Amino acid sequence: MPGADKETDLTERIEAFLADLKRGGSGTGPLRGSGEMARETTYLLRRITAQARWSSAGDLMEIIRNEGRRMTAAQPSETTVGNMVRRVLKIIREEYARSRGSSEETEQQESLHKLLTAGELSEENFRQHFVHLKANVIEAINELLTELDGTTDNIAMQALEHIHSNEVIMTVGRSRTVEAFLKDAARKRKFHVIVAECAPFCQGHEMATGLSKVGIETTVIADAAIFAVMSRVNKVIIGTQTVLANGGLRAVNGTHSVALAARHHSTPLIICAPMFKLSPQFPNEEDTFHKFVSPHEVLPFTAGEILSKVNVHCPVFDYVPPELITLFISNIGGNAPSYIYRLMSELYHPEDHKL
Amino acid sequence: MSSRGGKQKKGNVTSEQEEEEQPLQAVLVADSFNRRFFPISKDQPRALLPLGNVAMIDYTLEFLTSTGVQETFVFCCWMSNKIKDHLLKSKWCRPTSPNVVHIITSDLYRSLGDVLRDVDAKNLVRNDFILVYGDVVSNIDVSQALQEHRHRRKVDKNISVMTMVFKESSPGHKTRCEEDDVIVAMDSKSKRVLHYQKTQGLKKLQFPMNIFQHGSDEFEIRHDLLDCHISICSPQVAELFTDNFDYQTRNDFVRGILVNEEILGNQIHLYVTQDGYGARVSNLQMYDSVSLDMVRRWVYPLTPEANFTDQQGQGCTHSRHNVYRGAEVSLGHGSQMEENVLIGRDTSIGANCHISNSVIGNNCTIGDNVVLDRAHMWNNVHVSSNVEIHQSVVCDGAVVKEAVRLNKQCVLAYNVVIGPNLSLPEGTVVSMHHPEEEEEDDDDEFLSDDQEVGHSKDKTRQKAFNPAEVGPEGKGYIWKASMNDTEDEELAQCLWGLVLNPDPESDSESEASEESQDRSRSVSPEIDDVNAFQLEVLGTLQRGLEENIVCDNLVLEINSLKYAYNITLKEVMQILTRVVLEYPFQQQGTQLTTLQYTGSLLPLLKTWSPVFKNYIKRAQDHLDCLSAVEELFLEQDTHQTAMVKVLMKMYQLEILEEEAILKWFSTGATNDKSRQLRKNQGVRRRVRRMSLRRKESAEDESSEEGECGRRGIKTEDLRTV
Repeated sequence: MPGADKETDLTERIEAFLADLKRGGSGTGPLRGSGEMARETTYLLRRITAQARWSSAGDLMEIIRNEGRRMTAAQPSETTVGNMVRRVLKIIREEYARSRGSSEETEQQESLHKLLTAGELSEENFRQHFVHLKANVIEAINELLTELDGTTDNIAMQALEHIHSNEVIMTVGRSRTVEAFLKDAARKRKFHVIVAECAPFCQGHEMATGLSKVGIETTVIADAAIFAVMSRVNKVIIGTQTVLANGGLRAVNGTHSVALAARHHSTPLIICAPMFKLSPQFPNEEDTFHKFVSPHEVLPFTAGEILSKVNVHCPVFDYVPPELITLFISNIGGNAPSYIYRLMSELYHPEDHKL
Repeated sequence: MSSRGGKQKKGNVTSEQEEEEQPLQAVLVADSFNRRFFPISKDQPRALLPLGNVAMIDYTLEFLTSTGVQETFVFCCWMSNKIKDHLLKSKWCRPTSPNVVHIITSDLYRSLGDVLRDVDAKNLVRNDFILVYGDVVSNIDVSQALQEHRHRRKVDKNISVMTMVFKESSPGHKTRCEEDDVIVAMDSKSKRVLHYQKTQGLKKLQFPMNIFQHGSDEFEIRHDLLDCHISICSPQVAELFTDNFDYQTRNDFVRGILVNEEILGNQIHLYVTQDGYGARVSNLQMYDSVSLDMVRRWVYPLTPEANFTDQQGQGCTHSRHNVYRGAEVSLGHGSQMEENVLIGRDTSIGANCHISNSVIGNNCTIGDNVVLDRAHMWNNVHVSSNVEIHQSVVCDGAVVKEAVRLNKQCVLAYNVVIGPNLSLPEGTVVSMHHPEEEEEDDDDEFLSDDQEVGHSKDKTRQKAFNPAEVGPEGKGYIWKASMNDTEDEELAQCLWGLVLNPDPESDSESEASEESQDRSRSVSPEIDDVNAFQLEVLGTLQRGLEENIVCDNLVLEINSLKYAYNITLKEVMQILTRVVLEYPFQQQGTQLTTLQYTGSLLPLLKTWSPVFKNYIKRAQDHLDCLSAVEELFLEQDTHQTAMVKVLMKMYQLEILEEEAILKWFSTGATNDKSRQLRKNQGVRRRVRRMSLRRKESAEDESSEEGECGRRGIKTEDLRTV
């Protein structure tokens, strides 16, 4: 039975992905970046679409929603996964609507009139069977994948608009997007980058080596020196792990202090964040917001006796409120934090906010 | 054997290409083969005891799976059915599991050695495998160690048989198990183990010199290592266990390999890691600390909220100060969860409770005004109001009634009822099984079929519970550490260990246990050595007398004994003196009169004087010898008068010099008894006489010297010196 074979192969892949998520997740160092995570999730979702048994868009959405729930539960801090699931769900909705012939614009638009008249417009409408739906959905997912592949380049391309000659730029920790951004600017301009090392994981060191390799003048500073150095800085450019629905950030530990220092000196704070980091989550959802890892990096296990007398915590993320942020640079251009809600509604269907 | 050899040859041909593709295998021993957790493990095998509301074996399997193990053999013995049921229900036996789990049960396993011999007999492992116990909690990434191990085996043609994984942690660390404290000598470059010894509280350790003469120029002697009980073994390990049927534990194996290194050419290596976490829950103390470490997230990503076992409804949330709450937890008004608290699903907690550093299982109910500190409660526990629990383990289904206080290190085993209004003293163990049954059950212990019989016996023999011990409504029997005056040494030690070992915090107690360990481990072997040496010397002298052996040969023999028992020169002399002086007693019984004693001793002294002379050379030696003589005569105070004659004879035989005797006499008096000895007429007179002779006024021996005490001698002495 080749069908059954395919199915076990699929479940195996999903399990492996889930186990991977549980063990790793980004944020602690040598693991995958969120870009790669997004791509992998999308590949898996494409495989589900191609191999799972479904007859209508409703079935498919149910399957994907189920798997999505499991994936996000496996590593709640990895919001990219949930975002990609929502994007794919939106694609299915759109493709379904197109197959039916109605324009997705009307489906999408929310108006008071529609709220009043519509009601049972949701799931049972997706029961209709279309022959080409599968191919169309896969095609659309492929498009999404090409978009994902191009995000870093798209962001980097905008670098010259933001970085000028002889500027002093500060960044914190390591972000692949920011690294590409700065490197792109360095091809034409000369500027100085100050990297806060971002203890205890010290990803900043890695970032600094990467930047200095392409000839950018780079200085690594301790986290404690951020405020002292800020007065000399023209711009702060940082990456983030997630952009929250209110325009705030969930970024690597220490970002909040950078943002506050920047605000104090009225230094612009620019965030490089691809669209797939946009999450419909709000910062008050306490459970999933934090991520505490092994305290090993803060106080090593070898320290001995002291460990029984103290409590050591090692949080990974910081919350940065939207009012501290000047600009978001995403792969589709620059936006102010107050515009995030709009992008959100374009990317995700309101019914998918909660998987 | 021959068939195995054949298979191996065949395997070797193909292994060249297959080396990379062969799945990584692991042997998981889901039995501890000891009874450290005894009254608890009577109802539940150790591997299934919950740690942070998850069975311990799940941690081990998760660890193996995350390091890339694809095939695990789980060996169970004690209560194998329960382990099997658990595993079949778990995610490891789902068809999608990346780690295929084979369960192998047998009632005949009695040790790790038996398991590995079975591995060899069934030819289960084809390549390097990971060996762990079912109670190891770890997140160490052993792939690096595995790589090193494989590399070594490729380069050195299978010389290295085992790589042990150790974690760096300085002494005094609370997660270091005192029983497993090891000291390791290793070659810094090749990480080869040269010497491996459990310290067991010893203050002095000895290393054979030959380990430092192996040609490498850098050595490390390390005591800052925590044994994770994870070892990477080559298939030879199983074979070696078969060949050496006396190997029971890994310890035996390691020592065996190191001792026979020159002959067999096998080596053991070490992998020391700084990151990650790895510990074996080998007793309740370790249980306490590992559980706390887990809640404090040292084992990340194996944290409670990760729900890595994938069980429905086991998920929980993590909030500040490491407080974890399962689903449907209710917390009463004014209750505080201070820090490091894990509460399982459907548990309800009353008002005004204080909970810190504790783990509470599923479906528990806790009353009002309860204080829990370092409490480990398992599932379905009922705790009434006004209860205080400190650093104790409360097993499934136990009931703690009103106003009960559990002091440190109490254990309430399954379904025990305690209280009301009772305070259990420190280290109390309460179980539904009567301690006396346990010996009867001892034999059928490992046979699960007889379980039923055991239970029915239980009911028929049900004795009344002692309300003074467990409270008016209590159910259960106290297991006392003191009742282990049974002949069964091992059992006694385990019970003792269970009660006394969870002692991480209280300094006084840990000191006490250290002391006791000292006494039992470090001092006693030395005394044993000395005693054995004394016996040997006695035997040698006896033989010398019987067979008329020349004194030179006797000296030679004593010298070799000295090395064999590692006795210092000073001790040799003292023992020799003692043996010689006691010789008449040995031969003719202790009822000798002084006259008989001297009569038989003096000729002996004459025959053995060359032996003495060989050992007594320096001035200090003389004094030591004299003190030994003094000591002996202090013990044999009826024969004190004989001492004069002995001293005289020794002086005449030129064993002792008069100068030394004088010096001893003038200085040595340390206590009343010895002073009395010196006041003894004869001794005084003799010494006096000697000193006079020294002045070469040997006449006038007969005059009375009543008044001439020590003072007089002293002055004379001063004059002469």
